[in-house]
Amino acid sequence: MVLQGLITGIIIGGILSLPVMGVALIYGVTGILNYAIATIGTFGAFTTWLLLPYGLLPAILAGLLTSFVIGFGIQQFLLNPLIKKKGNDLTLFFIITFGIATIVAGLTKNFFPRPTISIELPKLGTLFIADVAVDINKVIAIAIAFSILLVMRFLEKTTKTGKSWIATSQNLKMAKLVGINVEFVYSLVSGIGCILGFIGAFFWGVLYNLTVNTGWDLCFLGYIIAIVGGIGNVWGGMISALIMGVVISFAGYWLGGMWQSVALYVILFAILIVAPKGILGSERSV
Amino acid sequence: MPPLLMEAENLTVTYGSYAALKKVNFSVFEGEIVAIVGPNGAGKTTFLETVAGLLKPKEGSLKFRDRNITKLEPFQRRKMGLMLIPQEGNLFPSMPVKENLQLGAFFENKRSTEEILNRVYRIFPKLQDRTRQLAGTLSGGEQRMLAIGMGIAANVKALMIDELSLGLAPKVVGNLLSILRDLRDETGITLILSEQSIKALDVADRVYGLEAGEIRFTEDAQQLDRDLIKSLYLGA
Ligand SMILES: Nc1ncnc2c1ncn2[C@@H]1O[C@H](COP(=O)(O)OP(=O)(O)O)[C@@H](O)[C@H]1O
Ligand SMILES: [Mg+2]
Repeated sequence: MVLQGLITGIIIGGILSLPVMGVALIYGVTGILNYAIATIGTFGAFTTWLLLPYGLLPAILAGLLTSFVIGFGIQQFLLNPLIKKKGNDLTLFFIITFGIATIVAGLTKNFFPRPTISIELPKLGTLFIADVAVDINKVIAIAIAFSILLVMRFLEKTTKTGKSWIATSQNLKMAKLVGINVEFVYSLVSGIGCILGFIGAFFWGVLYNLTVNTGWDLCFLGYIIAIVGGIGNVWGGMISALIMGVVISFAGYWLGGMWQSVALYVILFAILIVAPKGILGSERSV
Repeated sequence: MPPLLMEAENLTVTYGSYAALKKVNFSVFEGEIVAIVGPNGAGKTTFLETVAGLLKPKEGSLKFRDRNITKLEPFQRRKMGLMLIPQEGNLFPSMPVKENLQLGAFFENKRSTEEILNRVYRIFPKLQDRTRQLAGTLSGGEQRMLAIGMGIAANVKALMIDELSLGLAPKVVGNLLSILRDLRDETGITLILSEQSIKALDVADRVYGLEAGEIRFTEDAQQLDRDLIKSLYLGA
């Protein structure tokens, strides 16, 4: 019972950590809180579902690419010109990215034939942890969620593009002066953030049902988690997502579904009182 | 006369309604060391940041290597061989010394980066002892050294350094200046140095006097009348 709750919690937390890492990555580099990445990712997951008859792999690639292109395009053609004109105005970008999320959610509703879907993966069997049966697809989901963090850190350390986004997040002015095309970096990172949103939504669709509103759920949960972990802090977001996943899971067992979000907010407030900058603090200093 | 490398024509730059630069005309020839001197608030930083592309002029134009660069982004200007080391905030504080230098050499390939870094280490042996130390934990003098090292690593045609001597002991400044002059003699690099103090005049070929956003004089450094400098600071 406790073990079952813990395992469910870790799986939920692992999936939730994906959009959170997307938010953290984009915020860390651009300084913008992008409220649209989970809805864009959900649009991508619907695309994957629609194309499933053509094969799992092409469908996943199509969803991934769709999410990336939308995220990249919005940053490149809408947000970057705005940053240039208006500077980094938090309220403005809250309204704009929120608006984008609404539009994308509306498109998802109108574009796809069904409002609620579930993505069927080939059954790979079950794995036993002590005496709890766990679907292997869930294990894969969690493995991918955790390894993405490592992949991101690896890219940052070894590729020029990765180094460029770290440089941009540490010192924007100097990044421009050493020759980094920071607008391109912004767009790239936004596209990657939306890919993370996509992977989160995709697994949500594999394990549970995916609806047009899943984007919003992931968005709000994602923000609570991001705040608790320290906005922009990738590791903090990961830890926070796991804690929150476990909280959601146990609150569901012991208190009933309606108390899940109450429990989340209680934790949010408690942590913000103890540590106003989140568990590990915000990584962005500028 | 060596060919013209960079030229600013009627450059006006404003912050809101305040004009920090008023119709500034400025030119640099290849291989020159030019010093821009002037009191605090004269507009030196504004000028250099406009040339680097961080600020957009309200009026006027900029030419570099016979190309109009007024509308180019900073990275495009850097790619053409123009680099600015700003007066502050010129490091990536949470990266080690070596990665800072590598970013300085952003457009070099792997092999030439190694060579260039070794050149920087020969000039500043202290940096070589600290390749893995985070830039933000270096002392003030070492940070300045690293910033200039990044400028050298950039391997550019024209290097601009804002307030080279800021916060450094006079002896250290003297050393840095002779290092820069040697670099110019060796590589033919063009240097544009801004200074509140007049120490930079020791190595400069030519001097621009800037005050309240306007060029007051241009002189060959050797022929420069020291009274002219005084008038700049005391307000003639
Ligand atoms: N971001 C800014 N906003 C408004 N005024 C500024 C800004 N930066 C500089 N200034 C003003 O522009 C003038 C020139 O500044 P600056 O270029 O920094 O001079 P210097 O580098 O010669 O000390 C000063 O009067 C300064 O107060
Ligand atoms: Mg200055």
